[in-house]
Amino acid sequence: MPQIDYDLIIVGAGPAGSTTARFASTAGLRVLLIDKRQELGAPIQCSGAISGHGLEAAGIEADPEFIHEAIYGFAIYDESGARTVHDYRAIKGDEYGSEPGKKPLGYVVDRRRFDRYLVTQAERAGTEVWLKTEGIGYRPETDGTCTVFLQRYNQPIQLTARVVVGADGLQSQVGKWAGLQTHMKITELAGCLQFIVDGVETEGLLEIVTGHEWAPGGYAWVFPKGNGYAEIGLGVISTMTEHPAQWHLDKFMRKSFFKERFANSRILEVQGGGVPLAAPLRTQFADNMILVGDAARHVNPITGGGLHTAVSGGKIAAEFLIGHLGDGLPLQGGMLEAYQNLWLSELGDKMWKLYGIKTDIFHNMNLAERDQQLYATMSDYFSPTSEFKKI
Amino acid sequence: MSKQQPVLFSIGWNACINCGACVAICPQEAGFVSPFDTIAVDRPCDIACLLCERICPVDTITHVPVEVRVTQTAEVGQ
Repeated sequence: MPQIDYDLIIVGAGPAGSTTARFASTAGLRVLLIDKRQELGAPIQCSGAISGHGLEAAGIEADPEFIHEAIYGFAIYDESGARTVHDYRAIKGDEYGSEPGKKPLGYVVDRRRFDRYLVTQAERAGTEVWLKTEGIGYRPETDGTCTVFLQRYNQPIQLTARVVVGADGLQSQVGKWAGLQTHMKITELAGCLQFIVDGVETEGLLEIVTGHEWAPGGYAWVFPKGNGYAEIGLGVISTMTEHPAQWHLDKFMRKSFFKERFANSRILEVQGGGVPLAAPLRTQFADNMILVGDAARHVNPITGGGLHTAVSGGKIAAEFLIGHLGDGLPLQGGMLEAYQNLWLSELGDKMWKLYGIKTDIFHNMNLAERDQQLYATMSDYFSPTSEFKKI
Repeated sequence: MSKQQPVLFSIGWNACINCGACVAICPQEAGFVSPFDTIAVDRPCDIACLLCERICPVDTITHVPVEVRVTQTAEVGQ
């Protein structure tokens, strides 16, 4: 057996990387989790919404440490402000609510605390965590292992591992190391901007505003953020507008049917990010390498939600690796395709289907029809009868 | 080879929100990034697709064309 330093080196300590690390360490694998940042979760590039069953499925307790506010349903608006409400306090009142014995439907989390919490859980399970450590590259070796090149506080470090897990987000460099086709179409990456604000009332619902007028190619949102704060944001597809997201958010706040509601809002934080409304990566593996989370584009192409898919995908990846390494199977020559197949059967096939639905909507060049389709699809997606409610 | 003239990007750091969208859309090979998680600003981009400028939520990326070095052109030409 070749000498190795770690079974897994996971690059990126976001929700996907930390969840992979936690499950793998719990099963006894030797795991190193690295992140180049000094502070996890920041800069925040995410609205922070995750369903209760999403947390549960990945073995994460809804700890007050990271929860901004509990969510009980959805309100989906069309361009003119007419809305469909799915308030689970009314739909399934014996199960969902804020009273004792009832539970929330989901949460808006504080990404700084959420990411740190997940790293802590991984660390307590036995993962070694190195911050201020950047992945520089890797090289599969003929003995079946790989060499991983890191830089930690300016110090070059070289380690031997069985598998590198790329969990380094949408800007993933790890996939590029192996020459994977990670490039995204400009028509499928939404440029997003959001403000954390004071002075905007919310009602325990995730509010989603559709319509080309407000967010061409994407949608706008108003989420409760705890302690009386709210988060107002939107994402746009840049080929469908002459203006940046910032211009659209300003217009949404000053000219939409919510302008009175937003009139006294005061901006406390500015956050942004790219959100893929795209298909999952077609190839999420290479020799001694797999990708998880945003790096594998495990993002819901209808909602742009990536937290549930990240932690679920992380769990799937860990379970695959535990079995694969436990059986001593090869890690090169396409052998890790089995990870991708497992992921597809458990989660990915549904995401491909959602991608098909989303693509059909945005291929409709009749704007009025498209707006209607998006509103109907979003309204249906969050309804209790949706076939997709487990994503 | 791209027919585009190479460009050097410049980022208005005052408006940049470190969202990473420019890197996410960038078709360059691994490593075309700045220490601040944006596209690289210290060397020319020979693809010059300008997708990073289009995706930027706060419209804070600009570029200037870079002259193709004469010596290099001559070598390729011969």
